[in-house]
Amino acid sequence: MITLKPETKTLICIGTGGVGKTTMAASFGVGQALAGKKVLVLTIDPAKRLAQALGLKPDGHLHQVKLPKNDKAGLKNSGQLWSCVIDHQMAFENFIRDGAKGVAADEEINRLLKNKLYLQLSGRLSGSQEFTSLLTLHRHVASNEFDLVILDTPPAQHTWSFLKAPEKIAQLFNEGVTSWFRQDAESQSVFKKILNVGTTQVLKALESLTGSEFIKELSAFFGAIQRWQKPLETYVMNCHRLLISPHTEFFLVTGLDPSRLKEAEKLSREIRTQGYRLTSVVINRVPEWLADVPQFIKNNPNENRLNQVIHYYQSLEDQLQLRIQSFTSQQTVYKCYEFSQNTEHVQQLKENYDHIIRLS
Amino acid sequence: MVKKAHFVTGKGGVGKSLVAALLARFYSLKSQHVLLTELSEISFYKDYLDLSEIQYKPTAWLPNVDISQWSGAECLKEYALHLLKIKKLYELFFENPVTRSLVQVAPGLQELAILGKVTSSPRKHGPPMDYDQLVIDSFATGHFLNLLQAPRAMAETIQFGPMGEQSRSIDSWIRNHDFTTVHVVTIAEELPITETLEMCESLNKQFQIQPKIYLNKLLNISKKDVLKLDAKAQDVLLSELEGEDKARSTLKKNNLEFIELPLVTNLETTQILDALLNTLKGSSL
Repeated sequence: MITLKPETKTLICIGTGGVGKTTMAASFGVGQALAGKKVLVLTIDPAKRLAQALGLKPDGHLHQVKLPKNDKAGLKNSGQLWSCVIDHQMAFENFIRDGAKGVAADEEINRLLKNKLYLQLSGRLSGSQEFTSLLTLHRHVASNEFDLVILDTPPAQHTWSFLKAPEKIAQLFNEGVTSWFRQDAESQSVFKKILNVGTTQVLKALESLTGSEFIKELSAFFGAIQRWQKPLETYVMNCHRLLISPHTEFFLVTGLDPSRLKEAEKLSREIRTQGYRLTSVVINRVPEWLADVPQFIKNNPNENRLNQVIHYYQSLEDQLQLRIQSFTSQQTVYKCYEFSQNTEHVQQLKENYDHIIRLS
Repeated sequence: MVKKAHFVTGKGGVGKSLVAALLARFYSLKSQHVLLTELSEISFYKDYLDLSEIQYKPTAWLPNVDISQWSGAECLKEYALHLLKIKKLYELFFENPVTRSLVQVAPGLQELAILGKVTSSPRKHGPPMDYDQLVIDSFATGHFLNLLQAPRAMAETIQFGPMGEQSRSIDSWIRNHDFTTVHVVTIAEELPITETLEMCESLNKQFQIQPKIYLNKLLNISKKDVLKLDAKAQDVLLSELEGEDKARSTLKKNNLEFIELPLVTNLETTQILDALLNTLKGSSL
């Protein structure tokens, strides 16, 4: 079981791939809904079994999940659980359309949506999934429809890439960049003329590197967004604000693996200095069965393969105990046991949630 | 001159970087001069291999193996300097915040620059690289396909001019089996196996590439031994063993050959690499 701050309305699960982050986000959802909240879980790419458990369909729409019976005394199933698989293409298009509302004509928007650079940008390029997840999160938090929105972040080599996403995208809608491609009358002021001499030379250099067609596509793209760049910029800013809001908590999900624990330790130190509320670290897939393995097996690593494996897991656990101390006093550390893989339904998610143990 | 490029990919958490480091060592033992490079914004190898610093410029890791970290922006910068030659123009071009943002956001440009660097030796374009083989710890599965697709996508978008021509040439070297090898790492779990199958299909369909597959972190314990433990331990371990058998049969059913790598029961990276190197020496690679 996890404890959230009473004011928390957004919970973001971060962590590198392969640690069971999606399942963990879903377990949090089930647990918090059973505690009486109206919860939405946003996921990216759920495994088949998890998708079946939650009745997830990759259509970008919200679906209500049937909750298991609540066995806690004094609590009824008053909460609700909703789930949604993020549709990146749709999220990006909504973002452009919302930003352009009242500023640009439909045909202008449609022209942009057909621009080749836009098509690549809204696809699966690095950073754009992070951004569309954040857009979707922002939309549902702002709607005030839910007590708690949980986001499972996209798989990334590094946790930072999610946090850097708004910054990266914001550059695209930066006044500086778009003004480069602005060829209208207002850019003819003396100051801008001076600026343009440099710009023209840089564009020439870019052209000699890439060819004129590339520049043409690039100009068309920036030309299209220059008029509604302000609302888009504001939108990106709001997304960033959501990340550092006092109503947002980050949970780092990690695994029992030396390199992962090292990363978690480093992150827990760095992330706070940047203003994000990383309140908790969950060490997932800790082998619970290990506790009951007789000591003489644990102490004999060289006898056979099983003993070696057991000894290995035990040394990982020992490492964990050593490292807990080094997490800052600011974070709560939890561990969660590994459960056998062939049973993953809502009941299992509930049990998973109930078995999250607080270590510090 | 670089004669071979090895791309290593796989779902996050399967041990992709470990296998890339392992392959770099493996090829270096065949008296090849190897460059191991990682495509990430934040270095993974620095902590993992306990090195003091990893940069764009290669530094020594082991005898015959150098290590570096490539970003699209830096590949592009090196190429631009090589092409523009005039330092002044280059400075104007790159030491400019607007250009930096532009490079960041122009879709596919960074991917193209990276592959341009990878194929620069056979294309005889760009500064010379004094290595026989490149091992590239690449992006995870989805993004990796985008990387390989970038040259063709760019060539189709920009048909004329130097960029279109170069994109086509990069694309043809990526498709050249004597030059490019793709290594896909997986573990015996549902999602990574599914992604591996999808990846192999896409690589085959789009690039006619048959990747080498590594089934990593296998427990390889005997069922008989597991039955001596209590019920809870049996439940977990037997289900993992079942998953391993299922992964093997799924790969076989899809006519995919694979190399098995055991879970190395050691906490030190160097010792893990030593142990796996012995496995690899006895394999079909």
